[in-house]
Amino acid sequence: MNPIKKIFDLLEYDFSDAGKFAKLGPLFDATKTFFFLPSPKTRLGPFIRDHLDLKRYMSVVLLSLMPVLFFGMYNTGYQSGLARGESLDFWSAFLSGAWVVLPIIIVSYAVGLFWEILFAAIRRHPISEGFLVTGMLFPLTLPPTIPLWQVALGISFGVVIGKEIFGGTGRNILNPALTARAFVFFSYPVTMSGNVWVAGASGVDGITGATALAVTADGGSSLTATLADQGFTLPHLFFGLVPGSIGETSALCCLIGAAILMITRIGNYRIILGGIAGLILTALLTWLLPGTYGTWADAGPIYHLCAGGFLFGISFMATDPVSAPGTNPGRWIFGFLIGFLTVILRVANPAFAEGVMLAILFMNVFAPLLDHLVMKHRISKRIPNV
Amino acid sequence: METLAPSKGFKLKLAGKPDTSVIRLARPATVGVSAQDIPHIRPKLLVKEKEAVKTGTPLFCDKREPAIQYVSPGTGTVKQIRFGARRRLLEVVIALDSMDDFVEFDPVSSPDLVKLPDQELIDRLKQGGVWQSLRQLPARDTADSATAPPLIIVCLNGNDLFSPHPGRVLEDNIPRFEFGLAVLKRFCDRIVVAARTSSMEQLNPVRHLITHQVSDSYPAWDPGAILYHIKEKAEENTAWYIHVQDLLHLARFLQTGRYPVETMVTVTRGEDKKPHMIARRGAPIRLLAGNFPAGSLITTGRFNGRKVDPDTHLGFFETTLNILPDTPEDEMFGFLRPGLNKPTVSRTFLSCLIDREVQLDGTLHGEERACINCSYCEDICPVDLMPSFIMKALHGDDIEEALELGLLDCCRCGLCSFTCPSKIELSQILSRGMDTHHKDKQG
Repeated sequence: MNPIKKIFDLLEYDFSDAGKFAKLGPLFDATKTFFFLPSPKTRLGPFIRDHLDLKRYMSVVLLSLMPVLFFGMYNTGYQSGLARGESLDFWSAFLSGAWVVLPIIIVSYAVGLFWEILFAAIRRHPISEGFLVTGMLFPLTLPPTIPLWQVALGISFGVVIGKEIFGGTGRNILNPALTARAFVFFSYPVTMSGNVWVAGASGVDGITGATALAVTADGGSSLTATLADQGFTLPHLFFGLVPGSIGETSALCCLIGAAILMITRIGNYRIILGGIAGLILTALLTWLLPGTYGTWADAGPIYHLCAGGFLFGISFMATDPVSAPGTNPGRWIFGFLIGFLTVILRVANPAFAEGVMLAILFMNVFAPLLDHLVMKHRISKRIPNV
Repeated sequence: METLAPSKGFKLKLAGKPDTSVIRLARPATVGVSAQDIPHIRPKLLVKEKEAVKTGTPLFCDKREPAIQYVSPGTGTVKQIRFGARRRLLEVVIALDSMDDFVEFDPVSSPDLVKLPDQELIDRLKQGGVWQSLRQLPARDTADSATAPPLIIVCLNGNDLFSPHPGRVLEDNIPRFEFGLAVLKRFCDRIVVAARTSSMEQLNPVRHLITHQVSDSYPAWDPGAILYHIKEKAEENTAWYIHVQDLLHLARFLQTGRYPVETMVTVTRGEDKKPHMIARRGAPIRLLAGNFPAGSLITTGRFNGRKVDPDTHLGFFETTLNILPDTPEDEMFGFLRPGLNKPTVSRTFLSCLIDREVQLDGTLHGEERACINCSYCEDICPVDLMPSFIMKALHGDDIEEALELGLLDCCRCGLCSFTCPSKIELSQILSRGMDTHHKDKQG
């Protein structure tokens, strides 16, 4: 018999309802089912079932996050090396970035898991796999310089207020990871924006680590030229070698993740394509507007697509099935409006340089309404049965 | 002939398709009449244990309409009347004598049929214990003889993917099949005869009688799914349907005046290719199933059948047995494996890249979780329902909204439960909702 299985069998009683650690039953259960995929017999028809379960479902999302995660680690190290004026080779940049990023992820998972276990123990239900994704998504939206206590506070807010008080995974109306980010964003604006986004650059003078979206042109030059002056050339924005939040800088890695999600059909392609379409169309519209020279309205669709966190948000945050609409036409509209609102927020409201987070949260609130309208329409098309 | 090709449904290729040869099984020691596969019935027993019965003697009737009788498929003595929890009737078991002695009715020939008055025909079918093979949508209750149906659907294929092949069922019975259709014409002018595409090749002799050819992905040939795709107005919702073997039994009963005692059955297991079997109606499961490993799950339809105990008997409507293998041990890091041998309708395992026949065991492959709104159920539903939304309406006791969303179009194929990654028993929840609604309507 498998030795790990033996350990679980030995401990089973202590964590059962009659055992001394009954309260920690959900933790034991989650750990055990992590190692050994449970497959109980079907009691009710249909008697055969698909192999896909939520563990696999969420694992695919984590898989799709791997490119942005690894690139984020590398870029964090690379940017900090750049700020210190050193040029690092690949591995030392990656390792120094991992040294910064891993603690953030570990804190996010540990603190979030604490709340999950607490609620699971009180409610006596198993720990849902949805947290695996939330715990990874949240750190990737943070700047590498974030103090760890803010990470802990943010994930606590996201898990408790964003999810658990509604009843846990499947019942939340907002994306928990984005709720957590919004909390940190509005509570600690100093750490979330400004010139301190480069990890390991403290004590070095003359570093302007502002993100691309905070850039505006002055003195008659065009926005793209000003961006290029500050290091935000289009290739840099596309490949992601710019300062920014850990996971969002590389448009390419986000697109790889989006492709994995769409091919496996775990993320709904309607949301992603609808969002990109909405962003491109709106960016074209603002580009055609007169009198916007030198601002982000003048940036054009390609810059809007590659700069900032839009691709990260639309690929990984907006596709969260729980907080997105459950109907296909609803998903198209949902995605499209996220793209639309992102550009509008970037252009019209310089106070929030990054619009995608607010656009997604705003549309999360409207998702049930979109579903309602789509269903009303579908009902009218059906031949009634009563 | 019209072609119905709904794009949704079950598209995996399952292993275990039965061989098209036909064998005849030995006469069993016992036969049974099960009350478990009869929807909505409230059985009232008409016999006692140790009583002698002829072939065709009523064993129990439906308390809601006592004229609907379920009769003995053999001659002998009532060996046992088995009850389940809360004294629910499970089945009546008959120990067979060596010879059959029939309850006789006057045979009806084709010219007689024209002359037979409607009411007499209906009464005859009810007395003979064959009327109930006509079922009425959407609840699938016994057809109501008081109102004429808008159409009658004749299903040539059974409830499972590997139900008996209509080509085998019909090959020696074509005149009888035509007679059966003539009987149905007495109730309604519009008869829909539907067959799966893969069955058509062997149906050439009856090709002219088939009105609809349906796609080959389960459950396109289910009467509920057929009706959903052909109906044009709300009145058609109460269509009747009958499966081909039941129609042949009905015709045989009228033509011979005797209750038909044989039926064709398929048994599927793993990669076996068992032949079609002609067996006694209500034959013991053990006789049909043959040898199977201990712990196997035996069902009368892997998607929408019932789980059967090997020591019981096949039901009135049932024509197939699926023997599903026992659960292997919980797999280490199961959710992280590439999954070449894990069939799925999603695209999350490598198995989806390989086009081959697959096997599925009778386990959940995961644990129940909350609905995450992923729409997998909607993507597979053959009648365009949104099962997750209906499930939520039913949980909120909002039957009105559930009905508006099309609950009664549900054909109980079970695909929503099959595909759900959260392992929610959607099919059961929807079925229960429909049954409750039907019960309320009956008062």
